[in-house]
Amino acid sequence: MPEILHVGIDLGTSRSSISASNGERFVVDSYVGWPVDMVARKVLKRGVLIGHEAVSNRTMLDLHRPLERGLLKEGSEKDVEAVRELLKHLLGLVGVSNGGSVSASNVRAVVGVPAAALRTNKQYLRNSMKGIVDSLLIVSEPFAVAYGLDALLHTLIIDIGAGTTDFCVMRGRYPTEEDQRTLTVAGDSIDAQLLKLIEERYPEANVTVYMVREWKEKFSFVGKASQKVIVTAPVKGVPTQLDITNEMKAACESLLPPVNEMMLDLLARVEPEFQERVRNNIILSGGGGLTRGLPQALEAALNQVGGGKVRYMEDPVFIGSDGGLALAIDAPDGDWEKLSG
Amino acid sequence: MTAARKDRVKRRLIQQAFADNLDTIRGLPPRAVRPRNRNARIWMRRAPLLLLFLTLAGSTYLASNPTSVRDTIGPAKIVMNRPARSAGVPPTSIDPTPVTAAALQLSVRRVIVDAGHGGADPGATSLLNVREKDITLDIAERLEALLKKNGFEVVATRESDRLIPLRERARIANESNGDIFVSIHVNSIIKHTASHGIETYYLGATSDPTLTRLAADENRVSGYSVADLRKLLDRLYADARRGESERLADEVQRQLVGNLRAADPGLENWGVKRAPFVVLVATDMPAILAEIGCMSNDTEVARLHRPDYRQHIAEALFQGIHAYASVADASQKKGI
Repeated sequence: MPEILHVGIDLGTSRSSISASNGERFVVDSYVGWPVDMVARKVLKRGVLIGHEAVSNRTMLDLHRPLERGLLKEGSEKDVEAVRELLKHLLGLVGVSNGGSVSASNVRAVVGVPAAALRTNKQYLRNSMKGIVDSLLIVSEPFAVAYGLDALLHTLIIDIGAGTTDFCVMRGRYPTEEDQRTLTVAGDSIDAQLLKLIEERYPEANVTVYMVREWKEKFSFVGKASQKVIVTAPVKGVPTQLDITNEMKAACESLLPPVNEMMLDLLARVEPEFQERVRNNIILSGGGGLTRGLPQALEAALNQVGGGKVRYMEDPVFIGSDGGLALAIDAPDGDWEKLSG
Repeated sequence: MTAARKDRVKRRLIQQAFADNLDTIRGLPPRAVRPRNRNARIWMRRAPLLLLFLTLAGSTYLASNPTSVRDTIGPAKIVMNRPARSAGVPPTSIDPTPVTAAALQLSVRRVIVDAGHGGADPGATSLLNVREKDITLDIAERLEALLKKNGFEVVATRESDRLIPLRERARIANESNGDIFVSIHVNSIIKHTASHGIETYYLGATSDPTLTRLAADENRVSGYSVADLRKLLDRLYADARRGESERLADEVQRQLVGNLRAADPGLENWGVKRAPFVVLVATDMPAILAEIGCMSNDTEVARLHRPDYRQHIAEALFQGIHAYASVADASQKKGI
């Protein structure tokens, strides 16, 4: 019997990660680009570029970011093709290929999607993954995170990605719509806010959303700044140092009111006898979880309702795909066979 | 949690995750809504038999007591627009003619006013940081004042900057026994920032992918899929409510466009449309969702920022509701 490869995939708006049962783990930027013309194709020497390479060569590419708010954009064939290329690339990185050691027909995958993904979104994703893997289980991303951490009971997961911020209260059951919420205020909205604020303060600086995203990933913080945030950007073509400390703080803190409100709202819906346990067991994941000072800011909001504890995971990039992998491995063969094909 | 208990919980979670995926593949709605669907299906299957029985029993009773009904009820309350049957021929099937509210003599007394979004859900936000949730709440409050001043009862689904889930809004509307439901929203069409217009929705399936997408966006937090809602629509939707919702939408759209064009000659009429919004499918009364402006158009945002323009919008909404209610009342007075 051919060896089965189990994989967990966190298909993210900004980054996608894969964890495989052969021990391989990779993360790529969720960008796919095709050369715009013959000249670009000749320069790039490839028909399709993925991840950071695609972003770096974007001037020569028809660049696609196929996931919007964590979901596959519907109605765009190019985006469906892009997501297929992205998935094939991720699987290729862990050794899956037609002529390689593991073929697609031996892959069982768990893919995480935003908590509030609709059934049509899930079915659309399933259709687009036909032929890429043998069996596919789609679960909500915060559920995959919770499963991977064994945080199955009296836990609130807050997964801050680029496109969405997902909330999920784990009650020892597969989360229902009552247990989950999704906000579209997330990393991308911080980027947009930061770009706007920088443009307002430095109207002559030439700044793109890609630069802003990189700065945010390096320097994001809420609360008191531990140091000034100084970045370099061209002003009238001259590389110039810009102090964006206040702008960074304001943009990152724009996340706090909606996240605090949603967190408190979900906590209030937990059975009263378990509320304190859930309040003391809040887990931050996703790239946004790396924002300095965020756990403390959320804990400050929890003081309104008796206090609580917010933990931050050290490895937020792989936490979702690792959770998906744990699920894939634990699921019995009989269940996988039902989803085969 | 002990290791053994953890293993049991994990096994259960995995089973539930696979069951949920299989349901998705089979096109079944989420488990939370299924019992309601099953009951509805049972009643929908039984409804024709029940109606046939009631019709036969009623006609037998009328034939045997020709005067007693007139004596007790007075003028005939319900007149169906259908050809007269030959005397002595009992009805053998249910007439497919839609029943209108006019035929049922419905009047509008209590209006449910639903200010879209709120709290953690700001809705569309303009570059000037004008938020849809603030605009909708302000207009809803103005509309509420106008309605109350003119003798209507009003139930607001949201009275402050709070997040109210769509299901909760529908519950408030249904438990308040509202006569009509008016949801206020502001559009945002990022790809067409140059144009701006007004459109009003009532409940129905749509084949337009843009509207399906818009509905999916608005329904995102509900947990139901558009496909689930389509199925609900196919089975559960009553002619009277759809027809009345369309009429209400027509009146409101006409008043909005007619009144607001005076202040904004460039305002486009994007018409009355059908789409499966959760707040519309889950409410029991005629229901509409009015997109009263466009946050993606800077000029429009500047206008929405002005209290006098928001008052115009509230007045136009009121006039639409009033026009709809007047027809319903007139039908009642005439005994149509």
